[in-house]
Amino acid sequence: MSCGNPHETPCSDVLEAVYDYLDGEIDDTRRALIVQHLDECGPCLQQFGLEQAIKSLVHRSCACESAPDHLRVQIVARIRQVSITYYSTEQ
Amino acid sequence: MSDHDGTAPVEPPTESPTEVSARFERDAMQYLDQLYGAAMRMTRNPADAEDLVQETYLKAFAAFSSFTEGTNLKAWLFRILTNTYINAYRKKQRQPYQTGTDDLSDWQLHEAESHTSRGLRSAEAEALDRLADVDVVEALAKVPEDFRMAVYLADVEGFSYKEIAEIMDTPVGTVMSRLHRGRKLLRELLEDYAIERGLIPATVGSDGGDDA
Repeated sequence: MSCGNPHETPCSDVLEAVYDYLDGEIDDTRRALIVQHLDECGPCLQQFGLEQAIKSLVHRSCACESAPDHLRVQIVARIRQVSITYYSTEQ
Repeated sequence: MSDHDGTAPVEPPTESPTEVSARFERDAMQYLDQLYGAAMRMTRNPADAEDLVQETYLKAFAAFSSFTEGTNLKAWLFRILTNTYINAYRKKQRQPYQTGTDDLSDWQLHEAESHTSRGLRSAEAEALDRLADVDVVEALAKVPEDFRMAVYLADVEGFSYKEIAEIMDTPVGTVMSRLHRGRKLLRELLEDYAIERGLIPATVGSDGGDDA
């Protein structure tokens, strides 16, 4: 897939780096090359947009999970119990 | 800051049991929702997720004295969660299609690849964005476990590749390939849901034609 125009960085290199870019795992030099390419190349920009959309979608859909209240109460109670029996016999 | 020479303990040696548990509660309990969310993605049912999280916290508390304050507590807890899951829960679950291997069958990869040449990406991004959260969660649950967790840790928790490598006890290169494959599969599953929900027409590929 390509827009057909010549680019300093080939589309294949840019598309290969899509996840590194979106995950913030690339250095500034490479990032700048990719940004420049995306400014010039519609198809790559769309591909990046799609991957970005999916990444945000996963975040949005999964990040709001909260643990049931009784779980917190239960864990804290067990920790305090363990703490008293375990740590005090050690001391 | 005189106590950074490694000889003076950060905590007073006479920390009482109550103080230890108070410190643990203060520092570790704030990650409960996040650990529970990850446990839900692993076990895929609330009862097992609760057990898994509780066990994780008890193990973490027992090992808390060996944890160095100031290092990455969240990643440490996620690592204990992952290990606990692998050692206890994964074994007892019977899910033959999710054996945790990095080798996807050819048809799975082919299926995922075949979607990449479709046109209509912006419209597709918009359509996918209209999917309900439950559909996304369900789609993610269908991605094989190791890929699913890599995607979850990166996209939901925002861990770096290096942190994910530590949590999953695997090289960074493996993390990257799991993310790559996991996301490809997830995209295909999401597209299927979007088609099913009428957000993308089933004939979306026909007006593409930009494969050359």
